[in-house]
Amino acid sequence: MARVPALLVMHGDLAAALLRAAEQVYGPVSDVEVLSNQGLSRDALEARIRECVRPWEQGGVVLTDFWGGSCHACGVSATRGRDEVALVTGINLPILLDYLHNRDQFEAGALAERLQKKGQESIRVQRGLP
Amino acid sequence: MSWLLHRIDDRLIHGQVVVAWGQRMNPRRIWVVDDAVAASAWERELLQSLVPDVEVRVVTVTLAAAEWAAERDAAGGAFLLVRDLATARRLVEAGAEPRAFNVGGLHYAPGKDKVNEYVYLDAHDRADARALLARGTALEVQDVPAARPAALQQLDPPSAPE
Repeated sequence: MARVPALLVMHGDLAAALLRAAEQVYGPVSDVEVLSNQGLSRDALEARIRECVRPWEQGGVVLTDFWGGSCHACGVSATRGRDEVALVTGINLPILLDYLHNRDQFEAGALAERLQKKGQESIRVQRGLP
Repeated sequence: MSWLLHRIDDRLIHGQVVVAWGQRMNPRRIWVVDDAVAASAWERELLQSLVPDVEVRVVTVTLAAAEWAAERDAAGGAFLLVRDLATARRLVEAGAEPRAFNVGGLHYAPGKDKVNEYVYLDAHDRADARALLARGTALEVQDVPAARPAALQQLDPPSAPE
């Protein structure tokens, strides 16, 4: 099965920083691109995302920081009509690591579903430990 | 007075609007005033999906101007978003009467000069800004509520007459 490529689109330096953090845990990473919305209009950001996902004929995943932000909104617009490309919002380090460990075993849509589930499971509260 | 914010921002609905301004002011409605977006059902649905808990009204300049006073007198709170100074000017010339527009994001494009990190203007933008100021509409540059607002004409003084 072909590797599912990813594009991280996030505010400020988050995408680059998150990838650096993931590399500290996982090791060197290839086939992941990062993009910041900083200084970009809606049209410019959408065009940059569209450019990144254009070669993904076998599919890919666009990973964004939060629902309703420009990274998410432009991701939706830029992947319109691209059924083989899946979008996941609310990305955290556990999700990115799970992507890296599983991107050669799933196709894009199934991988995105898995990442959503893993992300939701990754958030836990602990308190009052003796 | 239902209007909480009139904002010029080429990203329309996005993080700063939803999180920074939205969570502080809790608008019940967001008006996106944009002829192109209003003409596309797909774009309208996308904008509505970004803020599921808020009513999003995507309308033309003509419709927004006609309904501006009714929203002012309505209950609840509302934001109005336009993508550029030209649309803000058309809205005011069509009859809307905001005290001020918040200038929140006019990002770089070829031919535009930098005013600050998130505001870039060309000659057309400056003509629209002068027209708005001449009608008494203030232009306040401020990306998020925690930032200090500055008058656009202070950051980008009109050039001296030749």
